[in-house]
Amino acid sequence: MVSLLPLRAPTAPSLTAVLIGAQAKEHLIHLSAVDGFIIASYFAFVVFIGFYVKDRSKTSSDFFLAGREMSAWIAGLSFMSANLGSLELMGWAGSAYQYGLLAAHAYWIGAIPAMLFLGIVMMPFYYISKTHSVPGYLHLRFGSAARGFSAVTFALMTTLMSGINMYSMALVMKVVLGWDINVSIWLSSLVVAGYVALGGLRSAIFNEILQFVLIWAGALLVPILGMIEVGGWGNLRRNIEVNLGRSDYMHLWSNLGTFSDNPMGVHWTGIVLGWGFVLSFGYFTTDFLVIQRALSAHSLRAAKMAPIIGAAFKMMVPAIVIIPGLLALSVLPFHLLPESVAVATGGHSYNEVLPLMLVRYCGPGLIGLGVTALIAGFMAGMAGNVSAFSTVWTYDIYRAYFKPRASDSHYVSMGRWSTVVGVLISVGTAYLVQRSTSIMDYALQLFSFFIAPLFGTVLLGMLWKRATNAGGFWGLLAGTITSIGLWLWVYRVPSALRYVALSPDAKGMAENMYRALWAWIVCVVVTIVVSLLTKPRPTAELAGLVYGASRLPAAEPAPWYESPMLWAGVIFVVFIAINIVLW
Amino acid sequence: MVSGKRPIWFFVGLLLLLYGVVILSVGLWEIPFPPAHPPVLSQLHAPIWWGGLLGVLGAIFVARNRRRLE
Repeated sequence: MVSLLPLRAPTAPSLTAVLIGAQAKEHLIHLSAVDGFIIASYFAFVVFIGFYVKDRSKTSSDFFLAGREMSAWIAGLSFMSANLGSLELMGWAGSAYQYGLLAAHAYWIGAIPAMLFLGIVMMPFYYISKTHSVPGYLHLRFGSAARGFSAVTFALMTTLMSGINMYSMALVMKVVLGWDINVSIWLSSLVVAGYVALGGLRSAIFNEILQFVLIWAGALLVPILGMIEVGGWGNLRRNIEVNLGRSDYMHLWSNLGTFSDNPMGVHWTGIVLGWGFVLSFGYFTTDFLVIQRALSAHSLRAAKMAPIIGAAFKMMVPAIVIIPGLLALSVLPFHLLPESVAVATGGHSYNEVLPLMLVRYCGPGLIGLGVTALIAGFMAGMAGNVSAFSTVWTYDIYRAYFKPRASDSHYVSMGRWSTVVGVLISVGTAYLVQRSTSIMDYALQLFSFFIAPLFGTVLLGMLWKRATNAGGFWGLLAGTITSIGLWLWVYRVPSALRYVALSPDAKGMAENMYRALWAWIVCVVVTIVVSLLTKPRPTAELAGLVYGASRLPAAEPAPWYESPMLWAGVIFVVFIAINIVLW
Repeated sequence: MVSGKRPIWFFVGLLLLLYGVVILSVGLWEIPFPPAHPPVLSQLHAPIWWGGLLGVLGAIFVARNRRRLE
């Protein structure tokens, strides 16, 4: 899955243009035999793991929820890894070069509060309801209409995002290594389809652990050597101020008082409400791609700890993504360019900042490790989407509407086949997005269309007993229509952006945030109004689904230092401290 | 996690050990035979200490997780 909110929506490149540009200039990295060996070893390992766990994926619980026997660490690292997809590594490093430290909001306010909220408040209901998916929870809470709507939109979104991951990977391999784009797409597809179809969620999770370690092993050396070269954080800040002639690149909050005072063209209300609240909470608390990892945990406490452990590592990702982008502003002897300009002039674009920094500091062997880290990130994101698609398709569409009473082995078989079909659809999507004018804008629109209203529905479903089936469905539908309608309005009448994003100075990034906020508000208001006008469900039916109607099971005995609340508190304090220090 | 199988950490360690040994070897090779176009800060010999670190971590993971789960 793509990380939430890649930033360059307003200036995101035409993929076709990128491709043309990539073909026009020589690729960045020449691999040695050692590098080739390292990359080939990685591919061999991930396929091997698929075969290794295959014989333990015979039941539907094994295949779709990894037998619900994962430790908190494995579920947590997998949660984190599935979220560390292709747009994450390359996109945000480029965004850091373009927007400075503001890009780090993606990892802090755009992730940490939501992940902690999921672990502490929402995970108990997902876990104790014993549902297989988020649409499955909606079925229990709001009935089949809400479930069907969210299942279809989720399946659409995951295949599209998987295709975007796939195409991004192929594009990077083309730009960085000169590999043929078709070979990259089909090779990565076959490998991911192979290991997910063989071992189901367990195979995907185990490979995500491998990918998590490799991403850090391959990418961490760049900020370490970069910081040695510039002489520490203070020098980095001074160099950037001198090179750019402005001081607003190294602050998180102090330049967000107006839309025009920061490189991103956004106001702090958009960051906090649109991004930090609606989109971030929406993604982390309702996107089944990540929640499926936490649901695989062996106990309620482990399930609660999974997103909290994920949050701890999420908070550190700027070290390998944002800092290289900032270092590039300080040490590169040339300026990176917007994609369209790079294509026209033959220069390097923002997107290439991470491989450029890799080449700067790494020789044979380390280059191979760094490229493996990028590939691992791409494959983790792709596998996450495909395994989530397989589960939602099998449980919430196929079993719900086509074949409700088949044997368990039939559903496992359907899971394996739908994995392959999901990958094939993703391949088709990967070719489709080549025609898109802006891949990142497309991804953001999807989030605001489907994730933001879903968050309103799930939140009210879990916290408000009075919410009814009709309220849940109509609220979700109204929020989705609102979001798509606002997008169409600005698409047809660009000047409407001033109304959607509340300022004539707003840029596309702000539009995505505010559109998500409006969609969420409409969803919540409609859900409340319709619920108050319709007959409430008896409280007894809501046991295990809603706060106030459920008795949560007592936590398993554990020492105080394993308390989810304790670690959520520690992480939240560190999160606040980072924001103050970098204010 | 999976009874009768080795934990995933064993395979993580195995891959890190493999990569560590390969990268360390490249670093040692580059002392007498430096590359024609060395990267920035090549005098720090990053492949030696980074490869060594990965190798040591990998060896620890392999040793601690070599037993099959019951």
